[in-house]
Amino acid sequence: MGKNKYITAIVVGAGAGGGIVAKELATSNIKVTLFERGDWPSYDKHFNDELISQRVQDLGTSFGPDGKKNPRVLISPDGKRNTVYRAVNHIAACVGSGTVSYGAMAWRFMPEDFKMKSTYGAVEGSTLDDWPISYEDLAPSYDKAEREIGVAGDMSGIPFAPNKDNPYPMPPFEYSREGEFLKNVCQNMELHPFPVPMLRNSVPYNGRGACIRNRYCVGTACPVNAKNGTQNTVIPVAMQTGNCEVKTNCFVYKIHTDGKGKATGVAYFDENNKSKTLEADIIVLSASAHETARLLLNSKSVEFPNGIGNNNDWVGRNHQGHSYTGAVALFDFDILDLTTGPNTTLGIMDYNHHNKGIIGGGLLANEFFLGPYAFTDQRPPGSPTWGKEHKKYQRENYQRTGLLVGPIQEIPIFDARVTIAEDVKDFWGVPVAAFSGGHHPLDKINCQFLSSKAEEIFIKAGAVKIWRRGGGEGQQGGGQHQGGTCRMGNNPATSVTDSFGRIHDMENLYVADGSLMVTNGGFNPVLTIMALAFRVGGHIASKWM
Amino acid sequence: MKYNRRNFIKQCIALYGSTLLLPACSTRGKTQTYRSFSPLQADCLGAICEQIIPTDEYPGAIDSGVVNYIDRQIYIRFPELKELYHEGIQAVNSYCTSVYNKEFTALSWDDQTQLLLTMEKGELPEEHWEKASQREFFRIVRRNTMQGFYGAPHHGGNKDYISYRMMNLNYPFIAGQNRYGEK
Ligand SMILES: Cc1cc2nc3c(=O)[nH]c(=O)nc-3n(C[C@H](O)[C@H](O)[C@H](O)COP(=O)(O)OP(=O)(O)OC[C@H]3O[C@@H](n4cnc5c(N)ncnc54)[C@H](O)[C@@H]3O)c2cc1C
Repeated sequence: MGKNKYITAIVVGAGAGGGIVAKELATSNIKVTLFERGDWPSYDKHFNDELISQRVQDLGTSFGPDGKKNPRVLISPDGKRNTVYRAVNHIAACVGSGTVSYGAMAWRFMPEDFKMKSTYGAVEGSTLDDWPISYEDLAPSYDKAEREIGVAGDMSGIPFAPNKDNPYPMPPFEYSREGEFLKNVCQNMELHPFPVPMLRNSVPYNGRGACIRNRYCVGTACPVNAKNGTQNTVIPVAMQTGNCEVKTNCFVYKIHTDGKGKATGVAYFDENNKSKTLEADIIVLSASAHETARLLLNSKSVEFPNGIGNNNDWVGRNHQGHSYTGAVALFDFDILDLTTGPNTTLGIMDYNHHNKGIIGGGLLANEFFLGPYAFTDQRPPGSPTWGKEHKKYQRENYQRTGLLVGPIQEIPIFDARVTIAEDVKDFWGVPVAAFSGGHHPLDKINCQFLSSKAEEIFIKAGAVKIWRRGGGEGQQGGGQHQGGTCRMGNNPATSVTDSFGRIHDMENLYVADGSLMVTNGGFNPVLTIMALAFRVGGHIASKWM
Repeated sequence: MKYNRRNFIKQCIALYGSTLLLPACSTRGKTQTYRSFSPLQADCLGAICEQIIPTDEYPGAIDSGVVNYIDRQIYIRFPELKELYHEGIQAVNSYCTSVYNKEFTALSWDDQTQLLLTMEKGELPEEHWEKASQREFFRIVRRNTMQGFYGAPHHGGNKDYISYRMMNLNYPFIAGQNRYGEK
C-alpha cells in the first residue's frame, strides 16, 4: 500500500481500453484519475456532416485531435521524411475516443487468432507469434464486454463462432435490404451468414433507448445515445463510485520512474497548457497503440535511456493496422434501401481461417452506407472521375452499389514501427510519433484472396459489374485499427508486457489498449481491446486490493 | 451600435436569415464578391468547376455554390491553398492566351474539357506551370469541387441540398434524427 490511505491509480486515455480499466479499478475501491487529452463528446457539434467526421476527415475530425497541434512524421521506404499537420492515423481524442463514433461491430477473435504460429508455423520475415493467452483465457472478459458495454447479435448455428452457444444480451439487428439479399446468396453458396454483432442497442438496454436506424452512423456520435461506448457505460459507472475523477483536456507527456523499477507518476499539460505532475501507486497506459508507444519512448531516464520498457528495442515494433479489402459491385436494381440505416447487417467468417494456402484470412460484411461525397470515388476502374458521366453515375448508381468488405489479418513485421521524431514537436513541445515500414509480401496475397471471395459472392448475386479492392501494400499507417506496438508475451526479450499487460521491467506500470495485440486477427479490434482491458483491470484490482 | 456579443449574434442571424430567404434561382450574371478570388479569377475557377460537375437536368457546380465553398474553405481552413489556386488559374489562362488568344472562360465547352483532360494527365506545356504543378492543381480543384457539391450545405456549397435531391436522398433534415423525412 502507498503512502495514502487509498491505493491510487492513473489511467492515461479515456477510450476503449482506458474507460474499462478505470471502471474496474474504481469499483474495486482504488482512487482513479482518468486522463483524457480531449473533451467530453457532443452530438450536435458536427451532426450530419460528411466532411467533418471520424470516417471522412477532409475538413477535419469531429472528435479530434486537431492535426495542426498534433503533427506526425511519415517516413517512406526510401527514408524520406514528411511532416503532416493533418490528424493522420489517429483514432480520436475525446472521452470514449473511437467508441463514440465507431461503426460498433463487435467481433470476438477465434481461438486460432491467439495461436497463429502454432497453427501456421513460423513465417519468414515476420514476427508472427502466439499470444501468451488463449481464447479461453479471454472468453470471460469478452462476456463482460458484451454485457457491460452492450452487444446485440446472434451467433447460434455458426460453426466457426467460438460463442455460438453463448447468447448476446440483446437480440440481433434485422437485415437491411442489401444484407437480406446477400444473406440468401451466401446461404445458396453454403456459406454461413449471420447478423453482424453490434455495440448498439437493438432494444432498450442499460438505461438507454433503442437504435433509430440512422442512415449514417459510423464516423459520428449517436443523436439518441443508442450506440454503446465507454463514454456512456463504464466511465459513468466509474464516476458514480466516487472513486474516479476524469481530467479532460489534460495531455500526459511523460511517465516518471524511481530508477528501481517503479513508476511514480506522470507529467501532463492541463487544460490551460500548464505543466503539472501527479503521483500514484499504479499507472495504466491506454492512450492507443500510437500514443502509448510514443509516451513510453518519450519517457527517457538513466534507467531507461531509450524509453520505458524499451531496453530490448521492442516498443513501437510490430505495428499493425488492417487493409480493408473486398469487392464493390454494381447491380441493375436498387440494392440499397436508404430509409433505414446504417446498413452493415450481414457478416460471414467462413474465410477467417483454414483457407488453402493462406495464413489467416478475414471476415466479410456488407459495408455501412457511404455518404454522397465518399461515393464520388466509388467507380469501376477506368470510369470517368469527373464531368457529365461522373455526375450521372452518381445519381443513377448510388443505391445500386453494394460493398462486401472486411479487415484482413496482417502478417506482422519487425520493421513496421512507431518511433519518435526528436526534431518535430507538437503544440506542447513534445516530440511526435513517426511511422515507418510497410507490409509483409503476404498481405497483398491475402487481400487478393479475400477480394476474390467477395467477388465470387457478387457474381452469384448477379451483379452487372464487379471490381476488387485489393490492398496490403504501401506504408503501414495503423489508422483506426492501430495495434501491436507493445506486444504482450512471456519472453521479455521479444515482448514489452507480460500476459496481464504489465511492462516487463516495471512493478506497477501497465498497458491496456490496442498496443497489446500480438496479431490483429481478421476482425475489427475493439471488442478484443475491451476484453483485454477487462482482463488487465481485473488483474490489477485482484493483485493490489 | 455597441459592438457586443448579442449584437454580433443578431447581425449573424440577420445575415443568415436573408440568405435563406433568397429565391432558389440562378445567381449567374450577378457578381459575388469573394475573399480569396478576384471576380476574374472566380469566373475562371467557376468554369473549371463547372466542367467537373456540369449542369444537366440538375444545376452544376456554379449554381450550387462550389466557388463559394472553395473561397470559404481557403479563408477559414486552408489558407495555404490560396497560392496554388492563384497560380493554377493564372497558368490556365496564360496557356489559353498563348494558344487560343483568349481566356479559359471564352473557350468552347469541348476545348475546355480537352484542356482539363490534358492537365489532369500533366501534359500541358510545362512552361506555364513553373510555379504550380498542373496535376496537383487539377487534383485539388476536383476534390474541392466534389466536396462543395456533395458535402453538407453549411460548408458553403450544395445549395438547397441540390446533390442530395439529385441522388434521391430525401430531405429536409429532421432534427435529432440525422436523416431525412419522407418525401
Ligand atoms: C470511424 C471509426 C470506426 C470504427 N469502427 C469500428 C468497428 O466497427 N468495430 C471495431 O472493432 N472497431 C472500430 N473502430 C476502431 C476502435 O474505435 C478502436 O480500435 C479503439 O477505439 C481502440 O481502443 P484503444 O483503447 O486502443 O484507443 P482509443 O479508444 O483511441 O483510446 C485512446 C484515448 O487516449 C487518449 N490519449 C492519447 N494520448 C493521450 C495522452 N498522452 N494523454 C491523455 N490522453 C491521451 C485519446 O485521446 C483517446 O481518447 C473504429 C474507429 C473509428 C475511428
